[in-house]
Amino acid sequence: MTIIVAAIVLVVILIVASLYALQIGPFAPPAKVELIMGTTDSVESAIDPAQAYDFFGWEILQNTGSGLVEIEPGSSAAAEDYNPALATEWITSGDLKTWTFTLREGVLFDDGTEFNASHVKYSFDRNMGIASPDGPQLNMEYDAIIDNVEVVSKYVVKFNLKIPFGPFLGLMACQASYIVNPEYAGGWQTEWSVDDIVEYVAGDARASNAMDLGPYVLANWTRVAGKDHEMRLEANPNYWNSAAGLPKTKKIIIKFYADATALRLAIEAGDIDIAFRHITASDIEDLQDNPDLKVWEGVGAAIQYMIFQEDPLTGLPQLNDSRIRRALTACLDRQEVVDTVFLSQYSPLYSMIPTGMLGRPAGTDGPFKVLGDANYTYARSLLADLGYDETNKLPIELWYETSGHYPSSPDQAQLYKSQFEASGVVSVTLKSADWPSYRLNRNEGVMHVFLYGWYPDYIDPDNYAFLYYAPWLNHKYTQYNATNNYVAMKAAYDAARASNNETERIELYDELEGYAVEDCPVVPIWQGVAYAVTKPNIKGVYLDITQTWRIWLLYG
Amino acid sequence: MGLRSYIVTRVLLTIPMIMLLLSIVFLIIRVIPGDPVLLHFERKASEEAMDAMRQRLGLDQPLPVQYFEYLGGLFRGDLGRSMQDFSPVSDQIYSAFPATLELAICSMLVAVAVGILLGVRASQSYNSPQDQSIRAFAIVVYAIPIFFLGMILQMIFAINLHWFPANGRFPPYLGEPRGLILHLSRPAGGFVETLAWSSIVGLVCWAFCIIALRRRHVIFWVKGFLISILAFMVGWIAWATLAWYFVNLGTLRISTGLFTVDSLIEASPLKFVESIRYLLLPSLTLGLVLSGVFIRLTRSNMLETLRLDFVTAAKARGLKVTAVTYGYALRNAFLPILTMMGLQFATLLGGAILTETTFSWPGLGRYLVDRINFRDYTAIQGAVVYFALIVAAVNLVVDIMYAYLDPRIRF
Repeated sequence: MTIIVAAIVLVVILIVASLYALQIGPFAPPAKVELIMGTTDSVESAIDPAQAYDFFGWEILQNTGSGLVEIEPGSSAAAEDYNPALATEWITSGDLKTWTFTLREGVLFDDGTEFNASHVKYSFDRNMGIASPDGPQLNMEYDAIIDNVEVVSKYVVKFNLKIPFGPFLGLMACQASYIVNPEYAGGWQTEWSVDDIVEYVAGDARASNAMDLGPYVLANWTRVAGKDHEMRLEANPNYWNSAAGLPKTKKIIIKFYADATALRLAIEAGDIDIAFRHITASDIEDLQDNPDLKVWEGVGAAIQYMIFQEDPLTGLPQLNDSRIRRALTACLDRQEVVDTVFLSQYSPLYSMIPTGMLGRPAGTDGPFKVLGDANYTYARSLLADLGYDETNKLPIELWYETSGHYPSSPDQAQLYKSQFEASGVVSVTLKSADWPSYRLNRNEGVMHVFLYGWYPDYIDPDNYAFLYYAPWLNHKYTQYNATNNYVAMKAAYDAARASNNETERIELYDELEGYAVEDCPVVPIWQGVAYAVTKPNIKGVYLDITQTWRIWLLYG
Repeated sequence: MGLRSYIVTRVLLTIPMIMLLLSIVFLIIRVIPGDPVLLHFERKASEEAMDAMRQRLGLDQPLPVQYFEYLGGLFRGDLGRSMQDFSPVSDQIYSAFPATLELAICSMLVAVAVGILLGVRASQSYNSPQDQSIRAFAIVVYAIPIFFLGMILQMIFAINLHWFPANGRFPPYLGEPRGLILHLSRPAGGFVETLAWSSIVGLVCWAFCIIALRRRHVIFWVKGFLISILAFMVGWIAWATLAWYFVNLGTLRISTGLFTVDSLIEASPLKFVESIRYLLLPSLTLGLVLSGVFIRLTRSNMLETLRLDFVTAAKARGLKVTAVTYGYALRNAFLPILTMMGLQFATLLGGAILTETTFSWPGLGRYLVDRINFRDYTAIQGAVVYFALIVAAVNLVVDIMYAYLDPRIRF
């Protein structure tokens, strides 16, 4: 009896396995029309340009929304690389304080309403009015740039600025300047608060998304246990550029993975077609040898830098003397960091404005190169003037974060410690904190020397050069610098943003960074590289300086 | 004390225990240093922004008010709102629970099946090479780190052989099983048609009524007939009325959240096979690691039991060895195993952090890690409350099963 039952079970299993293997009958899979993309990123807050200020949140804004202008894929985001999007043409006044855009006609929101100038005004008034403390408008200081948005006619809109602003097109191309659909963004009103931010609504992707007018609509967004689980993007039938055959793939599924290892395994096992971001340096090295996969390498705009806290901290030497900061900077060996920690995939960075951007073409050294790498003789001579030597070492605390917010932070910190201590006159105590505490420590100004990173909001040196004295770094440089270089630095920065003459701007940024090298309030270390891994048949991958992941161009 | 009284007492005792735990969790979360609102903001926020956030999270209220609001919320099933995206914590836990439950059940099946079968086998072949091998196996699987075993299985079966997916819970292209979805709408024929098809319910009521009347020896004719007809009418009209008013709910979804079960309800063999394929490697990993404990426990308890007189007597009476081992000896040796099963299962329902992370399994383990990393105090508090309830409930069930398995136990 037992044998008969076992035989029947075995036969059933064999039949099911055969049908499954042959993919016939009830086991025939649905027609595969989608691409599946895996990522370790997630939407950190909301899909609303008034609140989203994270990489992936902006990716979804970009793929489901549109701005007035956009940047040519694969370009270096120079002035001539800005293409019409919702605006077909634009002019600026001679003083760069007024920018007038003529809008594209016949563009429809998904509720059938025609897009016009009032929607542009609405979007900017709303997003700036909500003024979310964590949102991009407040943190990118939109209110310091834009005075008001004026509807000139149905299809003409004018931006009146408070200051002359050369990189305004860069600002307009960034996702925080994308147009929202009033129907889903809180309706027509004039009084705004953080309660009007469009938050995630379980089971209702449309209500969870303030965007419209982009190549895709967000067809599904599932969060499991508060964590992004799956997203589905479907082609927007009303997309203004659909005549160009965009998006190239009509349905895209995005799967979210817990970490880089899981993502790597998924692409290796063939569970997904595309893996974009993050895969670790060592995994990239392995995958480059895998004939079943293709590794795409692009320009990176993410940078890492070191910050010196100039406020006095109990029990530690105050770092308000630029000689200390220059000495510590001279101890760094950037090439060793990128070779050891990032397996030569990243590049050493000698300017806060990364390579590939205006005034920093590939193959040129940045201004910090003059301080040298592992230049211990120079470091010792500077510190000797301050009384530090082999018997009386300069004690510093070096902080790093442990939540994986930045790549390989513990490894980096260990190497910086050994580089500082190789001078023989510096002793380093390593300190760490998880990301929320690290961020809080930064806000409280309690970290002596610490690592931080930057990812551009818009592609222009204007979005990097201010980092030397960025107030939110809270390093008190503007309070304690003895040379008054800050004033000259700020003047050069303001003059550069008030100009649209590229030669003049390059000179001004060089001048600014010259002061930065003298003071070293913040020191650039490395520039990242963008990687994507796909199946060999996938095409349309653009990894350019914009760091925009253009899903609508992918196909395979 | 009888079994019923025992159950009632145990349930009543569970309530103050949970209340005490809730209060401790509430206080600890609030007295630890640091303002959770400060952690919420990316950059240094203004006092107004922080006040607005405190108000939004209810942290601006005095502590006793917060406490009673928290307790009141718990009675309504409200565990508060996440500090990350302000969605209800209970929804977040609920959304991850089925994945954790499914993994816990399958892992326990693997662990118990492997553990008991090998444990019994080892006890039967005491000190033989087979026994030694099984003991060595138990130690190895118990000592092996879960993530390591998981990665080995992933490398072999997913990356090299492509038999199973590397991670995740379901193939994205297929669409997750959603169970049975009924689109309920009123019949075109109106109430009369509803009344017609609900007569089946009336007939069922009539049949039940007749059976009940017969058991009570009521003479069927006149009185019995009238009662049964009345039952028929009541059932018929009540069902039709209920259906008429409530059938127009729109979509009724019958779903468990367990993909294996939902794919069966959905009658999709492909989805069922796929959900098993995705479930297999994580359950095997977790189940094998857990089986080490069960092998050791079963073996030691069976060794003691097999030496008892009643086993020898049963064998002497000519009963089959299998019947004696599994039917008598194992039942006697089962109480400590059951305790361990309960404890392990309760732990698994709190989320198998390493397994879920290794296999990107969207369960409560990953949820807890995420929330702790984010310092989402309300979510952590909610998760601890949930876990306390689970442990209390599982322990209660284990205690009741004790009494069922061993009739000598009376409390």
